[in-house]
Amino acid sequence: MVANTQKNAIEVDNITIRYDDFTLDKVSFNVPSGSIMGFVGENGAGKTTTIKAILDLIRTEEGSIRIWGKPSKNLHKDLKAMIGVVFDGSNLHENLTVDNVNFIMSDIYPNWRPKVFYNYVEKLKLPKNKKFKEFSRGMKMKLSIAIALSHDSKLLILDEATSGLDPMIRDEILDIFMEFIQDEEHTIFFSTHIISDIEKIADYVTFIHDGKIVFSESKDELIYNHGIIPCRKEDVQKIDKRFIVGTRQSNYGAEVMIRNVDEFKRKNREFIPERTSIEEIMLYISRGKESV
Amino acid sequence: MKGLIIKDLINMSKSIKIVLALAVFYGVMAFSTENPSGFASIILLVLAMSMLSTYTYDEMANWDIYALTLPISRDNIIQAKYIFMIIISLLGFILNGLTLILINWLTKASGVFDGLVYVAYGTAIVIWFYSIIIPVITKVGITKARLYIVLFYTIPFLSGTFIFKQIKKLQPEPPEGLVKFLEILIRNVDTIIPILTIVLLGISYYISVMIYRKKQF
Repeated sequence: MVANTQKNAIEVDNITIRYDDFTLDKVSFNVPSGSIMGFVGENGAGKTTTIKAILDLIRTEEGSIRIWGKPSKNLHKDLKAMIGVVFDGSNLHENLTVDNVNFIMSDIYPNWRPKVFYNYVEKLKLPKNKKFKEFSRGMKMKLSIAIALSHDSKLLILDEATSGLDPMIRDEILDIFMEFIQDEEHTIFFSTHIISDIEKIADYVTFIHDGKIVFSESKDELIYNHGIIPCRKEDVQKIDKRFIVGTRQSNYGAEVMIRNVDEFKRKNREFIPERTSIEEIMLYISRGKESV
Repeated sequence: MKGLIIKDLINMSKSIKIVLALAVFYGVMAFSTENPSGFASIILLVLAMSMLSTYTYDEMANWDIYALTLPISRDNIIQAKYIFMIIISLLGFILNGLTLILINWLTKASGVFDGLVYVAYGTAIVIWFYSIIIPVITKVGITKARLYIVLFYTIPFLSGTFIFKQIKKLQPEPPEGLVKFLEILIRNVDTIIPILTIVLLGISYYISVMIYRKKQF
């Protein structure tokens, strides 16, 4: 099967989309097969636009997108059947019930698994006879995820699927993703602005800011390569600028985010970088830069 | 694609109680007045509204953006709507035909076949209505299309009536050529209506597919 042999589940190469007030600018990144990639950025950074481009919902002016090595444009139905998609908010009709959804999807997906679907319905405690309009937001998201997982999906693409949910439900959903990814053929690409979700489950992080990719790296390497140096304000000048990602100053002193921690440690004995987090790294990159 | 049609049928079935209530009410009216034409019009109108409501449901759920991620093509989505529309039109024909037969049987009136021909004409006109409106909905969405529906069907009707009256003032008798042309049309109505329906349907489908293939979400 195509999906098994490809190194990358998704390859986004240099895509550009221009709107009057926003440009997705030469966006490139790969989602390695068998991994979870978190796609993170502030609201309006271009996450949904990128996901729409991947799903062939909008045209790109430049660049190309490949899913399992095939152009995403007019992707073959057999490959589409292996992709589960969940958008922010529900896209199912308010009048439908769980049974209706099962009935409809079994005629849409050639690989639909009613047993798997109802297992998820049971597991996620979704009411079978209630209309969708009576579902809470959490229940709607859980149903959308149950659908995405009930047709032998090998790739999940989720756009802000956990946003606006309470921590308990978010945790429940993240556990389902972790269970899904145990199969090494499975891949998840999910956008979010909740960094703790990324820290909890992602193997890779792609950070988009103002329509541009800031970085797309392994989460562990990212954390390993960055560090925070707490110091006095006057000491900031002593730090080699090549290593500085961003600086934050307060009345009590300064904090400097540095990259290439190993190299920095070899060259500077004076400062000892402390471990940092994805959230800190992103905050420094998106805001700290201006204050360097 | 079958799933898309089933989705619309399920959505429509949720408002079936209203359709049935109207059918019973106007059925009784038709029977008591021995005139099934009012009933036929109402059934066709209600079914037309049901067809349009499937678009409303889709728009409210933001369904299309999700549907396009399913293993179906853009063309399939349009095909499903046209097939559903034909199913609805045939349903209207069957309902009206059965009512006509029932009334004729109960009142022992003659002319069932002629009546069925008129029901078929009515169904064809409904298909013309859909054929014009579906590409518009595909292009602008149902919310804006509703406004266009009103404009499309009232402005030509009102302005046509006004122009016709003006012409009649100037020339009380219609020109002989026009009368002859209309006579030819009426004589060949059994051929013209089906051909016109198929041609309109074909053009409408082609336009909708072309619009939808380029649509951005």
